[in-house]
Parts: sequence; structure tokens; C-alpha cells
Amino acid sequence: MHGIYVHLPFCPYVCPYCDFAKWPLRPSAASAYLDALVREITQTPGVNAQTIFFGGGTPNAYAATTIASLVTTLRARFPHPQGRAHEISVEVNPELVEAGDFDVYAAAGVTRISIGVQSFVDDEIAVLGRKHTSEQVEQVVKMARAAGIASVSIDLIFAVPGQTRATWGQSLARAIELNVDHISTYGLTVEEGTPFWEWHRREPARFLDQDREAELYAEAIERLGGAGFEQYEISNFARSGHECAHNRNYWENGEYLGFGVGAASYREGERSVHTRSLADYIEAVSSGRPIPGDSERLSGIRKAGEAIMLALRTTSGVNLTGFRERYGVDVTSRYRSVIEEFVDAGLLECEGDRMRLSIKGRFVANDVCEAFIACE
Amino acid sequence: MSLSKAEANPHRLIVAQDVRNFCIIAHIDHGKTTLSDRLLEVTKTVHSREMEEQLLDAMDLERERGITIKMHPVTLGYKADDGQLYRLNLIDTPGHVDFSYEVSRSLAACEGALLIIDAAQGIEAQTLANYHLALEHDLTIIPVINKIDLPAADPERVMREVEELLVIEKRDCILASAKNGIGIDEILEAIVHRIPPPKGHNDHLRALVFNAQFDPYRGVVSYVRVVDGELKAGTKFMSMAHQHVYECTEVGVFTPAMRATERISLGNTGYVIANIKSLGDIDVGDTLTSPGNPAHVPLPGYRKAVPMVYCGLYPNEGAAYDDLRDALEKLKLNDAALVYEPETSIALGFGFRCGFLGLLHMEIVQERLERDYSLDLIATSPSVVFRVTRTDGSVEMIDNPSKLPASNLIRSIEEPYVKATIITPPDYVGAIMDLTQTRRGMLGNMEYLHDGRVILTYEMPLIEVIVDFFDQLKSRTKGYASLDYEVVGYREGDLVKLEILLNAEPVDALSFIVARDKAASRGRALAEKLKELIPRQMFEVPIQAAIGGKVVARETVSAQRKNVLAKCYGGDITRKRKLLEKQKAGKERMKRVGRVELPQEAFMAVLKLGD
Repeated sequence: MHGIYVHLPFCPYVCPYCDFAKWPLRPSAASAYLDALVREITQTPGVNAQTIFFGGGTPNAYAATTIASLVTTLRARFPHPQGRAHEISVEVNPELVEAGDFDVYAAAGVTRISIGVQSFVDDEIAVLGRKHTSEQVEQVVKMARAAGIASVSIDLIFAVPGQTRATWGQSLARAIELNVDHISTYGLTVEEGTPFWEWHRREPARFLDQDREAELYAEAIERLGGAGFEQYEISNFARSGHECAHNRNYWENGEYLGFGVGAASYREGERSVHTRSLADYIEAVSSGRPIPGDSERLSGIRKAGEAIMLALRTTSGVNLTGFRERYGVDVTSRYRSVIEEFVDAGLLECEGDRMRLSIKGRFVANDVCEAFIACE
Repeated sequence: MSLSKAEANPHRLIVAQDVRNFCIIAHIDHGKTTLSDRLLEVTKTVHSREMEEQLLDAMDLERERGITIKMHPVTLGYKADDGQLYRLNLIDTPGHVDFSYEVSRSLAACEGALLIIDAAQGIEAQTLANYHLALEHDLTIIPVINKIDLPAADPERVMREVEELLVIEKRDCILASAKNGIGIDEILEAIVHRIPPPKGHNDHLRALVFNAQFDPYRGVVSYVRVVDGELKAGTKFMSMAHQHVYECTEVGVFTPAMRATERISLGNTGYVIANIKSLGDIDVGDTLTSPGNPAHVPLPGYRKAVPMVYCGLYPNEGAAYDDLRDALEKLKLNDAALVYEPETSIALGFGFRCGFLGLLHMEIVQERLERDYSLDLIATSPSVVFRVTRTDGSVEMIDNPSKLPASNLIRSIEEPYVKATIITPPDYVGAIMDLTQTRRGMLGNMEYLHDGRVILTYEMPLIEVIVDFFDQLKSRTKGYASLDYEVVGYREGDLVKLEILLNAEPVDALSFIVARDKAASRGRALAEKLKELIPRQMFEVPIQAAIGGKVVARETVSAQRKNVLAKCYGGDITRKRKLLEKQKAGKERMKRVGRVELPQEAFMAVLKLGD
């Protein structure tokens, strides 16, 4: 087992673009959920793990001491195989961070803070339905540094309605100035069932088209590269040694266990995901029944295709020898015509034992990855 | 009726006094089906419970479109006020202009027609067309003003229209509401007293085939009207069109279910089963006679069904070619008017060029192939049959624009024209004139009705009518205008082939034939439409429209710039992969032409250009 994911789904308010499993914070629900979560964790047989990741929702909608006690529980139950310290990440909403929180985190063993900033431009922050200020973010970074958190990361969103190259440049510049270790830049995805979906249906012109979105993405690659951040995945940039090991495990098709409502796991060849119904989750765990959800087990070429889809997201790409050993598929011969076409189009690069997306290819990763996917 | 005297003297004119053959004709939605159902109910031919079942048995397509495609004859027993028992043969007619030949054969099997007119809407284009057709067949016409119960009904006005346009006296109109059972007895009495009984001779057998259906267990079931002589089970008969002799295994009547009888006697309608394997072996309009004592001349009016509209049908996946061929073969069993032959397109691979009676017929066949045979099809835009005279004087019929010879080899091109009749409220005359002008229509006649509505008669090219004309007409007149048309012959036109090039390669399946003076603007419109329809690809795709090698329009589909899933959804890899699978499935439904992925709609784009 490589990673442990813990889902904390409550938010002080719900952002209009988010389609993760999340609910507005209600103390009674949060407390019932926490009980269920702890129960799920303690009922699961312990194994070794190298990373722990708290995602949401908004994990720091829970008190720092609650997070700390979860960390303690998890560290004990899922010890590091070499007895070293885990990489332990917590996603935080900057406006909820209180003085002293990060000291509590650090003392429990948290090594990494990922701050949901999204934008440093007030108008965009408002469009995204968020309430923090740039000053708050600055404070939070300082607090993390002071508490001795080893890696500090910032999430930014581009292609926000109303965003321009100039305002996106401001956000990137500010993130660089803050001297963080890691920056994620996510293109806005308008997901069905969110208020943004409805807005997009009514006023599509308010949203950026793919040409403008591509410009912004190019801007991020250029600026962050220039500032010493290496792009190690489609949406992720890090200073040397600060890549997120937990996420990297997903792209390397490694195993992980997910706890909580809607959480996904990959274990012994089976992918599973818990129900996204909060009530069903709590009910199942508290009555000791199996947690409802979906699972699937891929094999053969479908499994290999999925692994390529994941590996191509990283800038190191697919290790061809390693791939043949692990999946029994010779990528170059199996996908010869597909590869030739993409290499010709300048989207894919094959160099020695590696096949990776070119910079141009990162912009259209879906179109490339899709060609390797085998449908049912 | 006794035939004993007739048998003794075969040359005597025999009158089947107790028989009436009639049909119901109407504009769409004026209440034909409701009235038929009511007649069946009142004469106790079927009970209301059975009515429902019958309705359920009807074809989905008919119910969805509210039209009758297949004809269902039925024999009603009616005891009239004079105390006599009559046998009323109701012969249904298809309700669409595509099937006008079939309509004419049904009318030929009757002596009279109920002409149904909606009491609120009045006379519409198909009312007129049907009326004229009935007159041509010398039928006694009984006008029925239906739906008089509607709040908007204005029977007085409609009767004035009848007097004026149909030259039928007002007092001959029957006011009715089929829905509420008003006027039904009066209609039945009028059928008996106004429509003459059938007459015929007994020296030779002559039976008109007015429809035929294929039954997978019994072969072809021919619907016949015996004009002269009689048709008996166990005897032989001959098709005069094909000169084939068959042994009649069963004859009978429709009650409306098929019920076997010993014979179909002179003047009556019924069905014949004779181990006929395919609808291609017997034609609607054919005359059946006795091989031992054949009639000298067949009944008039027979012609081969001629397809007017052609399109290419291609399986979206090459592997389904055999399935498509099998499905067409099966459809053809029950649809003699459908013609098809294999064709190859550079863009679309192996498929079939299919000919149809009209646009509706084309849509029905396509829908059936997709629905009943689960085929994923690409249809090219419809074309008519052009008559092309080469410079060397040879003439050929071209049903596929890509087969048009080079322009330097062509002396002239002729195209089919129709006479179109449009009835509209006066407010829309301007809009209709604009539309018909862009469609090369020539106004023939303009006539005003009492209520202010206008009848416009045009001659225009058939191709202009089949390409999105009806929808345009409806949308420009808020649905008020009605249309009917008939093909009137070939006229020479100044026509050129417009070619579409994608990535500098001509795409045969996208070319079409168009009037020279409209070619450039159609080319621009089509290039723009294709730009809308073709999704971005990995590379830029230039779209060009060209006439005789000269580019008249150019558009470009930009290359795909950004298409990437930003997030991992907290490790929910399955969800991510499924999104890509969905995207891939979408692409696989597209057709690859050269390097370009084309959605199916692109091949029908020419239908969606507007005016």
C-alpha cells in the first residue's frame, strides 16, 4: 500500500463550481461523520503506507486538534514501511486558518499544506464564490513556514469567467512571490449539476473558449518554469524535492486506500469508490455493514490503457521497459499507428525508454490519452 | 345478388346493388381516422374494446407522425333505413403526397369518396389535391364538414368555401363531429344513396391490385377490387404486368381481420393470397385476370413506382455493410417502392444508393433501418434524378451528384419540376413569396378564398422542395400554410456541381447540384455550417467550396488547443477513464475522411442551411 486518502466533506459554504462530495458544515452532521470515519479507519486492517492525504470538502472546517488526532490514529495504523516519516498533506481554506493551527498540525506530523487560493484577484475570487483576501493567504503561508511545515502548496484556477491574461499573470506572480514550494494550476471544468453548469448554459459567452484557456495554460507553464518550478504533471509544478508523493502514486498506478464518503481506493487490482451519499455512508459504517459503492477490476489491455492514461499525465511519461514488465504489453508495437500519428503531430515524444507528452501534447492530453484507452 | 343470369349471359352489365366502395380523403389532421373508427363502431364491425387493440397494433411510426402509411381496408355490414343490408367497403388511403400513386390506385377501386374538411380550418392544400384526384377518377364526392363541435368551428364559412372552390352545392354537405358521433347516420345513408353501386361484366376476370403487403408466413397478400368477373379460391390467375400465373390459395374479406371466403364477387374488395414470394412480383396497380380466359386490356392507370428522391446510405462502421444489405432486402419485401443498389464513396466506403418516392418515404426507411434493425447509418443529403445530355448527344439519368460528368462534357442538365399548391392566411403571402423566390419558384396563380386566405400555385424544381422547404414554409407562416405538390416533368436548368474539399481533398459525399446563380452563396453557407459541425481536430482543417475547380468559399476549423482533464478527483481514476471512454465513443461515431473526423450530421448539413 502506498497512500491513504481521507475525505472530509464539509465546507463553511459551497463553491459554485465544485462537484466533489461535499456538504455545508453542520456541527451535528460533522460530528456524526467523524465518528463514522474513525470507525471505518479502525475497522480496516492496518497495512504499511508512505503518504496520507486529507482532502475535501474543506478539511480545516474541522478543528486542528481533530485533524491532529486523525493523523495520530492513521500513523499508528498505517506505519511507514521503512519506519520513516510519512508525507502528510492537508488541504486548507485560507480564511479558516487560525493562529496556532499549523503548530498543532506539525506536532502531529503533517508535512505538507495545500492552500485553496484559486485566485489572487478580488473579482475572480468573488466569481468563484470564495471569501478570502490575498492578505489572508500571505498570512497563512507565513504561519505554515513559522510552524515548520516542510512543503507549502497553492492551488490556482484558470479560465475563470472574466479572467484575462493580465489577471492570471497577477495570480501567478503573487504565488511565485510568496515563495511557496508547489503550485497546482487547474483549468476550470464546468461540471454537470453545479451552479456553474447552469450559468454556462445560460451565458456561455461569459466563459473562456479553449483558445483563451490554452493561452492561460501556456502562460502558467512559461512563468512557473521561469521561476524555477518544474512541471511534473499536467496541472502540477514544484520546486525540486517538493513534488506531492501522494498524487504521484495515483499517476504511477500505485495502490491506495480511501476513507470517507465518496472516497476511492485501489487495492489488489480492484478500483472501488464509496457511496457519495452522506447518510448511506454513515448508516452503513455505524451499523457495521459494508459501505455501498461501485467497484471494477480491469485486466489486459483495458488495464494497460488506463495505466498509460495516468502515466502520460506526468512529464516523465511512460517507462516502456517497466511497463512491459508490469503489464505484459509492448506499448510501441501494440499502439504503433497511434504513436506514429501523435509523434508526427508533435504531441508525443519517444526518447529511448520513455514515451511522454510534448509541451504541445499537454494541452490536448485528453485527445492523446483517449487513443490508448480501450472501451468495453 | 344473384349471378345466375349473368353466368348465362356473360356480356350483360351487372350491377352489384348491395355493394358500395368508398374511401375517405382529407387534409392531415382533419379527422379521417376518427371518422373511420366511428363508422366501424356504429356498424358494429368492431367493438370499442377491439378498437383499442387495433390502435395498439398500428405501426409506431404512423402513430407518432399522425399519418397513415399503410392502408387498411375494411368491409362494413350496414342495414340502411330502407331496410336493406349493404356491404360497404371502406378503402383507406395513405395521407401523404409521397404516396400519391398509391392514393390514385385506391381511388380507382372506389365509386365514391367522403371528403372530410375541418370545420375550423376549412379547405387546405391536400383537401384540394385529394378533391381533384377524386374528380379525375369520376368519384361521387360527399363533403363532410367535421369537428363542428369545436369552439372555433365555422361550418357556414367552410360550406361557402366548398361551394366556391369545389363547386359542390352547400346542401350536399354533411355536418358532423366524428368525435362526438354527430352526423354518422347521415353519412352512412349518403354512402348508400349517393354513391352508385359497382358495375361490371362477367366475361373475363379483371381485378385491380390497389395495395399489397408482405406476410412472412404467407407471402404477398394482395388487396384487390374485383371489377369484372369473380376471384375464387383454388383457381389460377395471372398478373397482367408481369405475365406470371399463380394459384390462388385463399381469398377473403377484411372484417377488419382477414376472414377467408369462397370468392370475391364482382364489384367487391378483398384480399388474395397465392404463394407470391416477393412484393417485386406483383405491383400496386396491376390487373389480375384469368389465364384460361384473359381480359384483352388491363385496367387503366398502372405504372411502375418511380423513385423521385435518392440518397446514399452507409453503415457507420464498414463491418455493418452486410447487415445493411440484409435489412434493405427485408424492407424491400414489404416496400416495393424502395430501390437500392450498391455504391462506393471515397469518403464513406461501401454503401447503397437508395431511391424513395419522396422525403417522407426516405425518412421512414431510414428510421426503420435504425430502429428496427439497430443500424448506425450515415445518410448523404437527398438528391433528385437529373437528366444529363452529354455533348455527344447521349442522355443519362444521374441520381448521385458525384457522378455528374465534367462540365465540358455536358450539353444540358434537366431537373424534375413540381406544381406546388400553397394555401395560406393573407399575412404570410409576402414571406412565402420571398421563400419561393429563393427556391426558384415561378408563381402560376393566385386566388383568394372567402375567409381571406390565399391559394398560391407555383412551379418549382423538386430539389428545392425536398431540401428543407416544408419546414421553412411552416416556420415562416407560423404553421398556418399548407402545401401539396405533384411532379409535372423535366425542365432544363442552369445547374452546376458544388464540391466540398476538406483538407484540400474533395469529399464526394458532400457534393451537390445547384443552380449556378445560387452556387456561390450556397457554397459559403455550407462551408460555414460545416465549420460549426466539424469538431476541432489535432490539426487545422480548411473547408473549401468549389465550382469546376474554382474555390468560391473557404472556412477553417482551428486545431484543438486545449482538452485536458485538470484534476484526479481524489484518486477516482475510474471516473476519469470513463470520461475519456465517453469522448472516445463520441469520436468513434464519427466518420474518418482522409485525416478528418466528420460527425454524421455533416453529411446532411446541406439540409440545414436555411435561406
